Amino acid sequence: MSGAGTGGVIDLLLRDRAGMLTRIRTGNVTQILRTMIATIAVAMAIVGAALGSYRGDEQIAYAAIKLPLVLLGTAALSAPALTALGAALGRRSRLATDLALVMSALAFGALLLCACTPLILLGRAIDLPYHRMIVATVVMFAIAGFASLRMIGHALSLEQGPGWRSALVGLCTVFILVGGQLAWSLRPYLVRPRSPDVPFVREVEGSLYDAITGALRSARGIYLRDSAPLREGDEP
Amino acid sequence: MFQIPVAPPLPLAAPRALSLALAAAGPVAIGGILAAHTGVIAPLAAAPAIVFGVVAATSPALYIAITATGDGPPLAAVARALGSALGAFGIALAGLVLPAAFLSLSSVTAVTTIMVCSCALGGAAVLAMKRLSDELATRTLSAGVVTFVWAIATLGIAGRLWWNLASEAVS
Repeated sequence: MSGAGTGGVIDLLLRDRAGMLTRIRTGNVTQILRTMIATIAVAMAIVGAALGSYRGDEQIAYAAIKLPLVLLGTAALSAPALTALGAALGRRSRLATDLALVMSALAFGALLLCACTPLILLGRAIDLPYHRMIVATVVMFAIAGFASLRMIGHALSLEQGPGWRSALVGLCTVFILVGGQLAWSLRPYLVRPRSPDVPFVREVEGSLYDAITGALRSARGIYLRDSAPLREGDEP
Repeated sequence: MFQIPVAPPLPLAAPRALSLALAAAGPVAIGGILAAHTGVIAPLAAAPAIVFGVVAATSPALYIAITATGDGPPLAAVARALGSALGAFGIALAGLVLPAAFLSLSSVTAVTTIMVCSCALGGAAVLAMKRLSDELATRTLSAGVVTFVWAIATLGIAGRLWWNLASEAVS
């Protein structure tokens, strides 16, 4: 696809999503997929670099590499679920078309996040405290994720075929579980500026589900350790 | 003689034989995920045995009960509906195996693996029950209630057997 063609598809995605959905159903799916993969890779690399700039140095490159992997991996693992769950209930679905739809929706979300990078950089510029930066990032990602799922929901509702609602609910569930776990596995993205060392990925400490259940247990006063781990030299 | 109208079958996403093969292969794969985490190979064979065994044991009851309500489709239509529902189970599970494998392999606790595998099997089973209900297309309240109660009983039996299997594999 030519550069102008790529720009045209991205412009269509941002300006006229109904037209984009028509193009997915009737156009060249391979070309759309290629454009969307490139869009996700570039946009999320920019977002990752902006998040990494909060710590600086090698974390800029680390986050710029990892964030595109999270989104592309989530799409690759989630799209077959949409096709299979819909097909089980009689929806006429094709894996390539569904993959193009999921990729396009995620590319739209990635572009929205890319539009938020000035806010991330502003947070860095005014030395926004770490936890506030975390909250702001979560809000931005939540808005982008909601916009992506809304686009998929709209596309499926236009079909009006059997099983589209169940397929959408199933996709949302798989999407949230897989996306959350993949993002959790490849963390950290946002690191405190004073952190001396930055690992590319943290050691496997369990799943996101394990962490949530552990946090809930701790909130109820049930601890599996005698005390919190301390740094060398700290008084207990 | 009064003829009960039979609903036209919904389109199948895959040939009947392939979707039934997926109904067997899907539970094997889910059993494999559990086996990989626990080191016990029993779930590989036990998971498909639970699926087909429970359906074989409870499906005559479905035919008898909905026929007794006066709204039941003929035996061949019920058998076809059960086949379609099993096929739908296999197709749905085929789409959930990959995410389930990822979620299980990226966790360290066996509880997470059991939860993920149970959700995949349970989700596919619920979709299969919905497909069965659509295929049977019963029109009276009593036939609908019978189908619903049968679905709850079948899911309950299979769920209990699966839970026992998973707990034994972990312990």
